[in-house]
Amino acid sequence: METTETTSLEDSLRRAAIDRSVKGPVLFLFANAALWLLAATVLGLVSSVKLYAPEFLDSDWTWFLNYARVQPAHMNALIYGWAMQAGLGTMIWLMARRTGQELKGASTVIIATIFWNIAVTLGLLSILFHGSTSMQWLEFPKYLWPIFTISFLMIATRLVGMFARAHKEGEGFMITSWYILGACFWFPWIYLTANLFLHCFGSSLNGASAAGINAWYVNTLILLFFVPVGLGACYYYLPKITGQPIYSSQLASLGFWGLAFLGGWTGIQKYMGGPLPAWMPAIGGAVMILLLVPAGIVALNFHISTEGRHGLIETSPTLRFVFVGSFCYLALSAVGALLGTFWTGSLLQFTYAEYGFHILAIYGFFSMTMFGAIYYIVPRLSGCEWLSARLIRSHFWFSVYGTAALVVCMLLGGLAQGASINAPGNWNLPFVGSIINARGYLIGRTVAWVFILWSNAWFFIHLVLMVLGLGRRSVAPTLLHHEESHAPATA
Amino acid sequence: MTSLRKFVIGIGISFGLPWLLLIVVPAISAQKLTTLSYDKERDGMEGAYPGKGIYRQGQLIYAKEGCTQCHTQMIRPGFAGILDPWKKGWGSDQAETPAQPIRPSTQRDYMFEPYAYLGVQRNGPDLTNAGYRLADKSRLEIHEHLYSPQAVNKWSIMPGFRHLYKVQPIQAAGSPKALKLPAAFAPEKGYEVVPTAEAEELVNYLLSLKKDAPIPGEVVADTAAKK
Repeated sequence: METTETTSLEDSLRRAAIDRSVKGPVLFLFANAALWLLAATVLGLVSSVKLYAPEFLDSDWTWFLNYARVQPAHMNALIYGWAMQAGLGTMIWLMARRTGQELKGASTVIIATIFWNIAVTLGLLSILFHGSTSMQWLEFPKYLWPIFTISFLMIATRLVGMFARAHKEGEGFMITSWYILGACFWFPWIYLTANLFLHCFGSSLNGASAAGINAWYVNTLILLFFVPVGLGACYYYLPKITGQPIYSSQLASLGFWGLAFLGGWTGIQKYMGGPLPAWMPAIGGAVMILLLVPAGIVALNFHISTEGRHGLIETSPTLRFVFVGSFCYLALSAVGALLGTFWTGSLLQFTYAEYGFHILAIYGFFSMTMFGAIYYIVPRLSGCEWLSARLIRSHFWFSVYGTAALVVCMLLGGLAQGASINAPGNWNLPFVGSIINARGYLIGRTVAWVFILWSNAWFFIHLVLMVLGLGRRSVAPTLLHHEESHAPATA
Repeated sequence: MTSLRKFVIGIGISFGLPWLLLIVVPAISAQKLTTLSYDKERDGMEGAYPGKGIYRQGQLIYAKEGCTQCHTQMIRPGFAGILDPWKKGWGSDQAETPAQPIRPSTQRDYMFEPYAYLGVQRNGPDLTNAGYRLADKSRLEIHEHLYSPQAVNKWSIMPGFRHLYKVQPIQAAGSPKALKLPAAFAPEKGYEVVPTAEAEELVNYLLSLKKDAPIPGEVVADTAAKK
């Protein structure tokens, strides 16, 4: 009995030391990320209105707010401003916890974050006021990619270092650290490949190959950065909060290697029927279908692991967000497969459906998982509890309804748009049909962004108060119901 | 360290394979594409395919303005319900009923440009062959469309690119380049709208978009007879 108590005290002290070492960088990353999320949401709202009312905010001095500039600014703020920074913060904390290592060189991480944010700011201003490169998700001016690469590597090398140190001490492989370690390798590889090919060897490339590399970058960034980081977080929080271990490590490993082997092949199906050799989009589409296998394996593993404890989503904010996120992984695999096959893809190609897929991946899956992680991590680092269960609840519901409405509107809107473009009766008509068909869904897109804006504005305020240490001083975590009861110390 | 090494090797192989086979090798082999020449006997025409490329200086404006967000430049083959080859005006033949469907785009069509702006979405019409479509419009009309799309099509959701144009006081008889705009879109009295150099470059680019030349060896007899 005595030994257990000493160990648990030692454990707590060790955990506290680890948390202290990551506090500065992780909170800094989260606060910046939440600010960019707010910016991305406002830009998303403006660009959604532009699609049915181009005269909105169209005075002479707001010339830079047209759809062609706001839309890429919106996506880039969402990806590089919010998603990647929230991901990096979560990666640092998870890796430190999982490996039991303190973060060495926290100031390096903070410096890297500062440079990252300067680069995002410059990039967005450049898209709005100077113009974009018109390469999807790489619209930032080309002089910025070295800054992003170096900043990422400055952080990733810390994570790899932690992993290697733990490994020397004989700690075994854990699925969460696999996914995070994988993301540390994959992102620089993907990002460098795309930027070197498009910006450095660009002039000697065939134009169509370059466009294919861009499409590959977009899909691979989702599948081999956002998916692994999100799943890494799911694999940590689901067993942690339900108190049940992951059902099968074989299934977990199968899901991981399935993704690793398949993830790099997709993307070019965006240009199916296009100028690239037909096997390239064909293999992309086929692999999108094959990817349903690792997704199904992961979902099955999650389901069995949490069986019987699903009721905990009533009280735990983290579990709630992570649940929705892990469900969206299955949904995004299904939508990805639909967009990738020629049978349905030819109808949905070049329509709003692609935007729906991206939002499902980056918001429905990744961001929801990151929200869950943030609700868990921040109280442990800032030393205070979330101020209000009501704010968390409304953040959750407005996000869920907003994202669901957005994704459904964009998929149906894409279908309406694609059907009109391909309707034989429209062969000689001007382009008005697809515009009128999709209008209702585009208004839905605006309403959805209003919902998401409402939820994110409160999330931002709540998070900033927490980071400033102005949260609730209490030993009991903020749970969504039964606040009076002495619930176990899991939030 | 065996197991960490194994992990890194596993990542290297699993991702290196698609990286090499899908990205690096095809990109290098596509660089080796050369122009083909028509055979007078077989094709009934002479010259090289593809002919001259696009107007690169204007393409930079096209990219900068983000036109690719809504305009594609890629004709898909006509099967599985795709209508691209039969869209009126999307090919070289602007007739009401073209003699033959528009041909799908090939990799060679883009060999003179470092990056093919195939497009993100198709919220507006495809521009692969916009050069043919715009040929029967005057430059002035194209400028008017870019300046205020709603003046041309009331239902259009295209943004007006007014920042590529200059509003200036009318001097003497006015500039010959001044846009003729409907009252609702015109500047105040005594002023006129003229295109900047950037707008002119953009129009030059749009007029250079002609990717519908027949492929050597696949020239349809009908075209051959006409030429």
